[in-house]
Amino acid sequence: MGLEALFDPAFAASLPRFITPILLAALGGALCERAGVFNIALEGFVLVGAFSAVLGAYFFGSAAMGALTAVFGGVLMGLIFAEFHLRRPGDPIVVSIALNLLAAGLTTYLLRAIFDVAGAFRDPAIVGFEPIHIPLVAAIPLVGPVLSGQSALFYVALGAAVFMHVFFARHRLGLRLRAAGENPAALVAGGVSPERVRLWALVLCGALCGLAGAQLSIANVNLFVENMSAGRGWIAVVAVLLTRGRPLPLLAIVCLFGFVDSLSFRVQGLGWPQQFTDMMPYVATLAVLVVLSWWRLRRSA
Amino acid sequence: MRVELSDITVRFGDLTAVDRVSLDFRSGEVHALVGENGAGKTTVMNALFGLVRSASGSIAVDGETCRWASPQDAIARGLGMVHQHFMLQDSMTVLENIVLCNEPTGRFGFVDFRAARAHMAEVATAYGIEVDLDATVGALSLGQRQVVEILKVLYRHADMLILDEPTAVLTPQEKDRLFGVLRNFRRDGKAIVLITHKLDEVMELADRVSVMRGGRLISSAPVAETTKTAIARDIVGGELPAEIARAERAPGAVVLSVDGLTVRSRGRTVGPISFDVRAGEIVGVAGVSGNGQAELVQALTGLRRAHGGSVRLAGRPLDGLDVGARRARGMSYIPEDRQRVGLALEARVSENAAIGRMDQPGFRRGPFRIRSAMNRFAAELIARYRIKVAGPEARAATMSGGNKQKLVVGRELSRDTPLVVVENPTWGVDIGAIEFIHSELVRMRDAGHAILMVSTELDEVLALSDRILVLYEGRISGEVARAEADRTAVGQLMVSHGPSAAEIAA
Repeated sequence: MGLEALFDPAFAASLPRFITPILLAALGGALCERAGVFNIALEGFVLVGAFSAVLGAYFFGSAAMGALTAVFGGVLMGLIFAEFHLRRPGDPIVVSIALNLLAAGLTTYLLRAIFDVAGAFRDPAIVGFEPIHIPLVAAIPLVGPVLSGQSALFYVALGAAVFMHVFFARHRLGLRLRAAGENPAALVAGGVSPERVRLWALVLCGALCGLAGAQLSIANVNLFVENMSAGRGWIAVVAVLLTRGRPLPLLAIVCLFGFVDSLSFRVQGLGWPQQFTDMMPYVATLAVLVVLSWWRLRRSA
Repeated sequence: MRVELSDITVRFGDLTAVDRVSLDFRSGEVHALVGENGAGKTTVMNALFGLVRSASGSIAVDGETCRWASPQDAIARGLGMVHQHFMLQDSMTVLENIVLCNEPTGRFGFVDFRAARAHMAEVATAYGIEVDLDATVGALSLGQRQVVEILKVLYRHADMLILDEPTAVLTPQEKDRLFGVLRNFRRDGKAIVLITHKLDEVMELADRVSVMRGGRLISSAPVAETTKTAIARDIVGGELPAEIARAERAPGAVVLSVDGLTVRSRGRTVGPISFDVRAGEIVGVAGVSGNGQAELVQALTGLRRAHGGSVRLAGRPLDGLDVGARRARGMSYIPEDRQRVGLALEARVSENAAIGRMDQPGFRRGPFRIRSAMNRFAAELIARYRIKVAGPEARAATMSGGNKQKLVVGRELSRDTPLVVVENPTWGVDIGAIEFIHSELVRMRDAGHAILMVSTELDEVLALSDRILVLYEGRISGEVARAEADRTAVGQLMVSHGPSAAEIAA
């Protein structure tokens, strides 16, 4: 088996399936990070988003409605976070852990209560996203299969990453978000409430995580499985912390993670032990950590 | 514009921080508000600015009573405040900092930086202020950051400027420049409030001076009708302490010997520096902040690794030893930053007092500390150094700046080590505490301790030192003995490398 077996067009086409959910969640996390909210509940946000997406896509019979309910579910999680962390002075780590546990329990419970199934819910009535084929782009070798034939959410995610870069640099709320994270006292002195700014960060983070969940449950597949976020929220947290919430480096590092994640899936097909391939995304994370810290050390010396 | 405060009272829990204070500010007037730390100056201004709520009293602008829900309302009425601790975002550019909270926005809430830039250029030229709008604030000097703070206020069209201790971090030249700008404001009809405790500045710039003590307004008079002594008496509430007496004594043996010490930091080199400090003398290190003082002190105390040269304490080399080992060899250190280096603010006073003493018998039983012994020791320090605090069990954060500093000074001096390294010991400390700390340092000198005092306050260096070394660009640009020391001579060395060989030959 050679390398060409690994890097075929099918592999390229599968990349965005791995990149999109992590990127959307990480962008949400970046908003919180820059605003000074230590949100490590992305995993829970995404899981609720995935469940809400199936709920919307099943009952309204449309992928767009599924995405909308996913956003709604994610925002709800953001508001709960805000209630306990901003309105009441709850520790963000404790609130995060509580919300992650709540998401796992709640989605499992609702799965039984609403659909009367355990483990997984699949139904033809769940209308998912169709791939969008872009005629000319599809013909480009190598990147063609990556950029064409993906779900709408992939393009939303890429656009959001670029937009967020401009948002932080030039938008009023973006400026205030950065201030809330760096020196909130200056906002207070200027008559702006840092809490309100952080509330916005949590709401937008919830919306983006909701979309990340939608990509998982109604774009990658058309079903909901218990705990289907499967650590992607945590990878997003790592990406946010590594890049300190800067959107463009975030995009780069998420692409790397997506690549390794996708690769691990592939090499499993080559007969490598699954225990090893499951390890790969985390080994990649550690490798990036080591390389980055070495690089920063060298730069500061 | 005329702003009147009537009977303002501010309470924090049981503490009355401001007690029925009435003040009145007008256009074209510089009004100095003076008093010791904790006298309530900043609090009364915060009440005026809407940052704290007053329990009673009223604010009137041009005769109209105002109640503000937040500083935004005060800003809208033309008030602007430059806070003592800069309210800036270090990672942002000057322009971003200026517009923050008051952004001119175009479509979809995007900031119209072009309009802001044009408006700022106008303001800057109108008052003769030079600034690079695209520089990152974190890379600016403290003086330049102050300019950014002032521009922020001007950008919001303020008619009244409140400046809280604006000169605390400035060099003499930067101070002169700031006062020039403030004079332009006065000419332009703005009302200016200057919170300070430097009386020379009051006499130089202010038209009117109000003194606060213990939350009350003690006096308020035109500067022309009062004297420096009268103001100082109002500040401390009684007679002024006498000039510090110092024993005539010849310096003893060399205690600290620094030879060719070199420190590298962030791409620049400090040193080589060589000097001695003898028993029974205070050696002052003068210089404009940022000329290598921090690196020198950190290398001596072991907080930073030296790259070359050697340091000997009482004849024994200290090279390669860590902070603890150096302290054990007979060094004490009073750091500049009491908030982060000197004290653990969330810990109790007794715990802070016992830092560095936990290895002494009596403070520890096995792995356990002895609380009662720590409390007893802290109570001793509180009494001996007249620290105002609720008690040994109180948190360090509850003390005022001056009392925090007294605690650090007390803890370090009571170790009775041959060498004491002191760094800006009276930074942001009130007059009473300054006198006390100075007299303690002189008492230590008289008792035969060697003291190295690094300070950016030239008056402090001149008043206390037996010898003065001047640091400029990481080197010692000159040494002046106490007898020959005056402001001009030392000031010249602070901005140049001293007389060159050619000049000496001529």
